[in-house]
Amino acid sequence: MAPAGTSPAAGAGDDEISDHELIEACQKRDAKAFETLVIRHRGKVYAMVQNMIKNEADAWDLSQEVFLKVWKALPKFEARAKFSTWLYRITHNVVYDWLRKRKIESAGELDDGILNESDIAAGARTTPTKIARPDDALANSELGKRINIALATLNTEHRETILLREVQGLDYKEIAKVMGCSLGTVMSRLYYARKKLKTLLCNEKGKD
Amino acid sequence: MKKEKTEELFVKWIDGQLTSEEEVQVVSLLQENETLEGELQEMKSVSGSVTEEIPASVDPPYCDFFNSQLMRKVDLEIQSRTPSEMRGRQAKSFRWAWAPVGALALVLSFFAGHRISRPATVTVAQGQEEGRLIQFLPTVYFAGESLEAEVIADSDGDVSAIFVHGLAAIRDDIDFATVTTSTELPKSYARSEARRFD
Repeated sequence: MAPAGTSPAAGAGDDEISDHELIEACQKRDAKAFETLVIRHRGKVYAMVQNMIKNEADAWDLSQEVFLKVWKALPKFEARAKFSTWLYRITHNVVYDWLRKRKIESAGELDDGILNESDIAAGARTTPTKIARPDDALANSELGKRINIALATLNTEHRETILLREVQGLDYKEIAKVMGCSLGTVMSRLYYARKKLKTLLCNEKGKD
Repeated sequence: MKKEKTEELFVKWIDGQLTSEEEVQVVSLLQENETLEGELQEMKSVSGSVTEEIPASVDPPYCDFFNSQLMRKVDLEIQSRTPSEMRGRQAKSFRWAWAPVGALALVLSFFAGHRISRPATVTVAQGQEEGRLIQFLPTVYFAGESLEAEVIADSDGDVSAIFVHGLAAIRDDIDFATVTTSTELPKSYARSEARRFD
């Protein structure tokens, strides 16, 4: 651990210190710098995990696991990728390990009863003229809830792709790195996930 | 156009990331299918809603406790990898390399010590009756023909043991001055001891 007072997290305001400086300090096993890094990124990690597994208690534990893995792996981090991309990659691994252990990574198992799956096939052809516009469907007080339900209905890969792109704002290449797949796969998943979400949300409107 | 390519174009169209060349391709596709643009607009709208409605960052519940718990685990991790322990671990990893050396040293020191030690005879005080013991008699061993050492190392228990087989106690009734081949001593050893009494 670095001697007291030499930590970049000590003295300067947390916002003044770059991730790069904090990472360098963490690589010298500066726990104070690591805590600053955690405070800065814990919200994104927790939101990502929580949106993936939809379980608050497990999301809390898995987020802890993510950061502990980050601490252990930081000495080997070479900054070839952005720190946030690397962080999401570790988050991805932790979440998928957890899903594998519970054998619930197949599509629809997270919330089977929420929606009628026969209405939401990924490649289903939509007919915009017969359904309400999605922006109308979303224009109600329960918009966030409806989106969450729709997201939970997506399969794991589609849900993660949507979250990384629409929520976390990663670009296509970063998503490919995080998910360990090709750029083409990312594009395909993004296309079908968006199409499926549109179908789900418009069908919800149709039922109202 | 391949299906994968059109999917990529549509995704980029929704995200507003088409190059000028790709835009031409998409315009062509939109002209071929009247409902396509409406469909893509809806997907774009849904994407925007997801971005607006789902927060990118949510602090975990009891975030102070989250940090304290995590830092406690980090402290434990640091303690488990202190430099002194790392040195200790390195030393431990090389420790067993010394076991055969130790065994060899034991055997050699046995012989060496036997040669330089006082004659294993019973000291009889001058002027006193012969045969009367005036000192404690040490038990003296000699190496038999089949002397061998065995090292048993248990890394889990952090212990090691060296067993030396083939040693035998020299009987008190052996007279080295007149030692004969009838004793259990090795011949070379008996001759060597006999020379010491010459």
